[in-house]
Amino acid sequence: MTRARQRWLPALLLPLALAIAVVLGSVQAGASVSLPPKSAEEILAMIARTQVRALSGAIEQKAELGLPELPASGPGAVPGAASALEFLTGSHTARVYVDGPLKVRLQILDQMAERDVVINGGDVWLYNSKQNSATHLTVPEPSLADLENSLPTRPTPGMFAPDMPAPEMPPTDMPTPEAMAGRFLAAVDAATEVTVAEASSVAGRSVYSLVLNPRSTETLVDSVTIDVDSQTGLPLGVEVRAAGQAEPAYSLAYTQLDLSTPDAALFDFTPPPGATVTEQVLPAKPVPTMTQPSTPAPDAPAPAPDATIPEDQAAPGHGSRPRATVTGQGWDSVIALPAGAAQTEFTSNPLLSQALQPVDGGRALTTSLVSVLILDDGRVFAGMVPLERLQSAAAAQ
Amino acid sequence: MRSGMGWALLGSELSVLFRRLRTWAMLIALAAVPILIAVAVKLSSRPTAPGRGPLFLDRITQNGLFVAVTALVVCVPLFLPLTVGVVAGDTIAGEANLGTLRYLLIAPAGRIRLLLVKYAGAVAFCCAATATVAASGALAGVVLFPVGPVTLLSGDTISVGESALRSLLIAAYITVSLLGLSAIGLLISTPVGAMAATIVLSVVSQVLDNLPQLEWLHPWLFSHHWLSFADLLRQPISWTSFGENALLQAGYIAVCGALAYAKFSNKDVLS
Repeated sequence: MTRARQRWLPALLLPLALAIAVVLGSVQAGASVSLPPKSAEEILAMIARTQVRALSGAIEQKAELGLPELPASGPGAVPGAASALEFLTGSHTARVYVDGPLKVRLQILDQMAERDVVINGGDVWLYNSKQNSATHLTVPEPSLADLENSLPTRPTPGMFAPDMPAPEMPPTDMPTPEAMAGRFLAAVDAATEVTVAEASSVAGRSVYSLVLNPRSTETLVDSVTIDVDSQTGLPLGVEVRAAGQAEPAYSLAYTQLDLSTPDAALFDFTPPPGATVTEQVLPAKPVPTMTQPSTPAPDAPAPAPDATIPEDQAAPGHGSRPRATVTGQGWDSVIALPAGAAQTEFTSNPLLSQALQPVDGGRALTTSLVSVLILDDGRVFAGMVPLERLQSAAAAQ
Repeated sequence: MRSGMGWALLGSELSVLFRRLRTWAMLIALAAVPILIAVAVKLSSRPTAPGRGPLFLDRITQNGLFVAVTALVVCVPLFLPLTVGVVAGDTIAGEANLGTLRYLLIAPAGRIRLLLVKYAGAVAFCCAATATVAASGALAGVVLFPVGPVTLLSGDTISVGESALRSLLIAAYITVSLLGLSAIGLLISTPVGAMAATIVLSVVSQVLDNLPQLEWLHPWLFSHHWLSFADLLRQPISWTSFGENALLQAGYIAVCGALAYAKFSNKDVLS
């Protein structure tokens, strides 16, 4: 009998050993790292001084905004229709290659598909493997010079960020941790308490963690954590926590990072044979998109702090549109768009209009981080605040 | 002496496996999938719109080399697990049904060796099944359509030679993907014949993998990385999913193998 029991031993020990290995592995990944202590100011200075010119990395984005999630594949996944919401739910991965400010490639890795943005000097290529379609944007020389001037001296993959000033670069739905961190850091003011959390590790590199705590209690944002590479000062991860939610509402971080210069061939893009190619010359309107029929509008409630966009940069590239106005300050500011600005973009998307709930005098989208109120008269209010605050702001106007 | 015994056993297992009519019927059915796809695309008058149907279906007419990839995409969710389930689920149970298991157990091969040989047979079938789809797809594509440089998901183009290499990598990836399922089949097969259970498990695993509510479970499902072989069609190749998949399948092999051994060596498998 004992012999029979002994035979079960390997069957029990092996899964146990594997479980221990898995647990140890995850504990080690989250283990704190010992780094010389630095003050928040020193870390901010590190970010400002960062000199990374080239990198290749993989980025993961996760959003837990409390919106209904859609199956990632199968018949339920409607290409295009889901794209407005897709970056607000679930997780996404991308790869980014940077060699100086004018050579950038971003690959959004979808299941069995890919969307690429290739920037090489004055040529910008957008490629969508699902449609096998490519868009070629030519940036005229003067614009190119402007572009170089407008860019910081270090490469910012965040040049994709929708709030980049003109001349417009193609906005993509998935900015990099660095761009995201830049947007939050730009919003740091007296209304924000900046502290330093325990050092940890991101993408195998030790990082300092900077925590931005809104002093206001009106905002839905509980805290924003920015992980800064201890060697280069490059922001490697951003995590936004919503008030009253245990899991991070939004996170964007490198999962792999290599600071060597990527292969130059990556930036030479030739449209594949058989692809439909669209030519565009910049600056041209409307904003070039990833050729999907319903690419999210910049006004869609991006998890980024829309409220922190300076007034003159809001709704970029849509010069014909009415200007947005911002009321309030810092974290609890409310952005207001006059009638006709963004309403159609919200209502024309079937999935987005489904997520809207009817409220007094209009409809509203409430997530754990951002609220959007669309009034029946066409005005749109948005902010990282509870819905009630939007309603009172609407009533005040 | 003993190791020679093991090799002899493996040889006889493989020859039995590949001499069975059932094995050949399944391989021929698998080979028919890419041929059907290629012929259907060739015969249809309307070109397939990009983005409709399985991956690369619209590009087959321009480049026959896509037939193999499209066929693998079609086969991975159901046809390949189905055939692997039949073979792996029948490894021990089949012998028990035929009454031959008692002779194998009497033979001085040892139960662990018998289990290993049975598993090796299932692995050989995984290789053969994937290779059949890939080879028949490549053949059908070359015969029916023009062949040229291949476009990757990233939009970059690679030469025919490199595309053959990538096809081999994809076949290897899918073979590795099926190893975990084979181990599960071996485990279920031990006490009672359960080909159907193996197949049902693979379907259940894929359904669970599509439910966003169960996201915490996804990385542990053996089918989680099955369709990620598309990462081999990016430029540069993304090896992350290959590694994660191999690790996951190795975990399934270790756990299921240990459990199968325990069951097989304790229970009176003949009853």
